[in-house]
Amino acid sequence: MTHIEMLASCLLEGDPDKAWACIEKYSGSSKPDVYHNLMTPAMRHIGHLWESNEITVADEHLATATCDFILSKLSFGSEKKPSAGRAMFLCLDGEQHYLGLKMVDSLFREHGWDTRYFGPSLPLEYAVQTAEAWKPDVIGLSVSMVYHLPQLREYAEAFSRLPEKPAVLLGGRLADLYDLRPYCTGDTVILRDLPETETWIRHHVMGGQQSGTTEPIPSSPVFES
Amino acid sequence: MERLNLSLPLPCLKVNRDGRIVSYSALAEDHFDLSKAHIRSLVDEGSISKLGRISSESGPVPVKMELNMKTKKNPLVLFDVYLQWDTENRATMMFVQKDRSNEELIEKLASIQIRLASTDFELLEKKDELEQVLRRMDELSGPFIPLSDTLCMIPLFGDITADKINAISDSCLQSVFRGNYEAILFDLTAVGEVHADGIDKFIMLVKTLNFMTGNVIKLIGIKPNLAKELNHHHLDHWVQFNHSLKEELSTYLHH
Repeated sequence: MTHIEMLASCLLEGDPDKAWACIEKYSGSSKPDVYHNLMTPAMRHIGHLWESNEITVADEHLATATCDFILSKLSFGSEKKPSAGRAMFLCLDGEQHYLGLKMVDSLFREHGWDTRYFGPSLPLEYAVQTAEAWKPDVIGLSVSMVYHLPQLREYAEAFSRLPEKPAVLLGGRLADLYDLRPYCTGDTVILRDLPETETWIRHHVMGGQQSGTTEPIPSSPVFES
Repeated sequence: MERLNLSLPLPCLKVNRDGRIVSYSALAEDHFDLSKAHIRSLVDEGSISKLGRISSESGPVPVKMELNMKTKKNPLVLFDVYLQWDTENRATMMFVQKDRSNEELIEKLASIQIRLASTDFELLEKKDELEQVLRRMDELSGPFIPLSDTLCMIPLFGDITADKINAISDSCLQSVFRGNYEAILFDLTAVGEVHADGIDKFIMLVKTLNFMTGNVIKLIGIKPNLAKELNHHHLDHWVQFNHSLKEELSTYLHH
């Protein structure tokens, strides 16, 4: 059994202690590495098990809640650094797939950002209200189900009308599968996965506008050091 | 596509190998939009390959699988789907909507998670507020008091911490810079505990004041614990220790 399958089975058992032990045994050094090369594949594997009719949606929910707990534990206690900026993260209304978003939130915090993470399903009205009051530099959106796509444009347009002009980032399972540009505004930055997100954060620190993945996918030598 | 004449308690479809719907039950027509006459149009994008694979692998033995379906009322509903191939190469599919109680539990779980997350925010906001209050308190713990044109006093209140000295330094230096003071008094009577990093910052402040004005800075009201700390630093060049504010004032006022 690979490390990924082992973690998947701990998550499916709903055993956070075993899952935590499994992560501690993983040789990957950094949190982004654990997120991208262990936890994400484990959750994908769980999705695959559902597709092969080996588990049910109820099992998936248990695994998700367990994974959520592990993520909170992993990102807890990262030392607060001088703020690199403010970022808020949310899923479109009705979207329940939030684990990737939570990893992105944790990634930003690792890089010294002040963040607000809203988890699954945040109605647009509330998102806009918060953005107006809190004035984030970055708004991160996540979408994983095709039938939530029609709302995406509404969200992207509402955020691009904000007076502070925050950078709008879009990720989630669909960002990796389809070209989402027709569903958002021209200045929305589409990030396909965590390595791309980390590259974006690093470039942002150095300043300058970025476009995300409008060009051929860069090979991702991201978690190198 | 024809309607089945059987009265069935569940939505039921018969589908051929291409996925075309051959016949349907009354309840199937109630639940699903059958206008495209194809099973693909009823199954959520994320479930299509699952249905394809499992149905192609199965034979005359019935199989059960979970699929997300599009119903007339809702674009995404989870169903248990029972499927069985017959000898005419047609699959009979029966659809049982997942128990609502399951959904309720999931919704409750989600709402608890949301509550936890928002409690987290409230705590963070309170923490921010508290930090601001503490900073404000630090700023107010070293008021600058001009006693005359040439004499000013800065009483320090509470523990001497690096944060506190940082908070008062700026306004203190500016006030001294704007005036023309011959003597600067620090009244340390109301000082509580003394932190090492606080003392370091305090001495830096005193030295800066000394360089700015060229005058000796006077420390009054020094308690034993503070004296012990200050003794480690050689301050004789910059400061003068006096016993009390009373003595100091009488010297200046009779001047």
